[in-house]
Amino acid sequence: MPKVMRTALRSLPVLVLVTGVAACANDKSSSSDRAAPGAATVTITLTDDGCTPSPATAPAGPINFQIKNVSATKVSEAELLREDTIMGEKENLTPGLSGSFSLKLDAGKYQVYCPNAKTEKVDFTVSGSAAAAAGDPAVATALTDATTKYQQYVAAEVDKLIPATRTFTDAVRANKLDAAKAAFAPARYFYEEVEPVAESFGDLDPDIDARIDDVDNEASWTGFHRIEKGLWADKSTKGLAPVTTKLDQDVARLKTLVATVKFQPAQLANGATELLNEVASSKITGEEDRYSHTDLSDFEANVIGGQSAFQMLQPALEKIDPTLSASVREQFTAVLDSIKPYKKGDSYVDYSTVTEDQRRALTQKVDALAEPLSQVAAKVTL
Amino acid sequence: MKASRRGFLLGGVAVAGAGVGGLAGHVAEPKQATPAPADRVSFYGSRQAGIATPPQQRLAFAAYDVVTTDRTALQELLKTWTAAAAAMCTGQMVPGDSTTPAAPPADTGEAVGLSPANLTVTIGFGPSLFDDRFGLAGKRPAALADLPRFPRDQLETQNSNGDLCIQACADDPVVAFHAIRNLARLGRGTVTMRWSQLGFGKAASTSTAEETPRNLMGFKDGTRNVETAENDQMDQYVWVGAGGDQAWMRGGSYVVTRKIRMKIEAWDRDYLSDQEAVFGRTKVSGAPLSGGKEHDDPDFAALDKATGEPVIPVDAHMRLAAHENNNGLRILRRGYSYTDGMFSDSGELDAGLFFIAYQKDPRNQFVPLQRKLSASDALNEYIEHVGSGVYACPPGVSSSGDFWGSALFA
Repeated sequence: MPKVMRTALRSLPVLVLVTGVAACANDKSSSSDRAAPGAATVTITLTDDGCTPSPATAPAGPINFQIKNVSATKVSEAELLREDTIMGEKENLTPGLSGSFSLKLDAGKYQVYCPNAKTEKVDFTVSGSAAAAAGDPAVATALTDATTKYQQYVAAEVDKLIPATRTFTDAVRANKLDAAKAAFAPARYFYEEVEPVAESFGDLDPDIDARIDDVDNEASWTGFHRIEKGLWADKSTKGLAPVTTKLDQDVARLKTLVATVKFQPAQLANGATELLNEVASSKITGEEDRYSHTDLSDFEANVIGGQSAFQMLQPALEKIDPTLSASVREQFTAVLDSIKPYKKGDSYVDYSTVTEDQRRALTQKVDALAEPLSQVAAKVTL
Repeated sequence: MKASRRGFLLGGVAVAGAGVGGLAGHVAEPKQATPAPADRVSFYGSRQAGIATPPQQRLAFAAYDVVTTDRTALQELLKTWTAAAAAMCTGQMVPGDSTTPAAPPADTGEAVGLSPANLTVTIGFGPSLFDDRFGLAGKRPAALADLPRFPRDQLETQNSNGDLCIQACADDPVVAFHAIRNLARLGRGTVTMRWSQLGFGKAASTSTAEETPRNLMGFKDGTRNVETAENDQMDQYVWVGAGGDQAWMRGGSYVVTRKIRMKIEAWDRDYLSDQEAVFGRTKVSGAPLSGGKEHDDPDFAALDKATGEPVIPVDAHMRLAAHENNNGLRILRRGYSYTDGMFSDSGELDAGLFFIAYQKDPRNQFVPLQRKLSASDALNEYIEHVGSGVYACPPGVSSSGDFWGSALFA
């Protein structure tokens, strides 16, 4: 998770600089009042058909509305309404005239109203952030709740990981190949749900979950995938006993570590996005479980882990940006629906039977979810 | 000479825009505005840019499928795309927040600081958009018929069709790619990219004042293209006029795309006089085999004195495609050379022409031409059509309050 935050910050200075220039270029047109520094600009062109704000969404905070009448003969004014209350307006704009007004707006649904146009009212959305909604104590409380609940969730899933891993390692040690194979995906499930958290503890994730190409030296390779190779590729448990012991110890260490960790709301959101990126980059490609082809079980676990984090943020996000909240919720459902056809009993079909076209369709669903999900972190940052 | 022609063309587009929506974004400026910078093409206007615009050096083309069945969501996407395209064509970033540290920037950033490089972004609507999903079935123009199967077609679904298409052309490949990448991102959840194609070099010119570029076979193909500065030619062959069956398409055009793979290795082994016979032109000068210079009219009746055979062979590409031999029929070609690297199974080059042609009605233009070419063109030995698309390109966006295809949804 910290990795994600750092990347976002590094690219920032360049972008700030250029936006500044672009904004100056925009401000050259005639404005009757001065826009606040950093204000978003929304252009409204009056036409006899209606007046569409562009863009149709702006972030909460100072917004400068630039209104121009190029050739509308029936329409000469634009108002910004919230629940039929006029928030701002510009009147008497005959063809060729332009004007502007500036407002500091909270998140919510607004309308641009142009009397006498064919379509008089057009929706305009102001999206919020936790910082903008800081005045609402319910938002802060909801965010604190989310982090507490997520901590409990992570602890609970790691608590399930320990015995599930033990079932798996016991079977390996007892040289019961079929039982071990059957216990592999169910044990991993609990790990995959909370993987971004484990990744924040240095070497622990590679020790538990490294794939053969992640290690310099195959002799030092440990964790689930080392055992997976033994069971499916080598069809033998030979030499795996020390690996199973270490795996049991590593998941126990994970339990100790997660008990101490505290989360920020943005980390929940970024962790959820990271889980989706995991799905797209290693599950859909079939790289993750290349011997057992149990990738769809990991896929489901990643998505469920991300959805759990999101659901904890949802009460706060509903207040901050209900449109985004609804969109993420719907896309989570769409992704989970997309893997249902591959369900087989308690598990999933062998991933090697999933065709290229089907994998592509799955990726597109995951991308459709990850895009709005990646917008959540900034919204819940106080 | 070239520069002044371009300046003239740009002026033409801007004036056309004033008639409909006005000089968007220049309201407060004096009437004698300074000419637009030479590195940008106006996005707004009565016609979409990227059709009559002199071809830029690079292409990024993408086809998308709409994955929602919500008509409003589709309209919202078109509005968002229009605003983003308008911004990118002036060298601005995609609208939205690109500065909040905790959020992914709205713009992906690779074109920051670059010139707009004459970027044009042109949209088209495929036949499949007019099914029953969005209530648009009654708005499907007759001219937007599915293309028939032509002899020798080897079409691959991963290179063909799509509900929407975007043609982004620029003189900088990064700028062109940035456009389709950001539109794809803005469309996530509403559309998925179906296929895309990069073109690294323009393979058409639309003015005799400009040198005809060569295709990857080393020939000047498209010497006798429609000249976009000639308004009567454009009206006759390219723009949909008042005669179309769908009012929303007036001022628009239809585009046919064909991904034409060249059998490069085989072609390179062919001897020079045969290569010239295949095209009907000399390789270096581009002149017709009947003599003269590149832009001279070919003499299709000329016979070789020794053999008595036509100098321009009966199956020469240029003879079959010539307007004289097709009832005066012409199309505006705007294609690009492409390469996708090499075929991993054969080790041969994967390259060819991404053919793009604008026209008033593909049923009467591309289709009869391609029927003829696919049946008898000598070039067929060295090419293969592997991708195909046909799209209705609506008229231009008049101003910032308007959006791509607004009349389609009216």
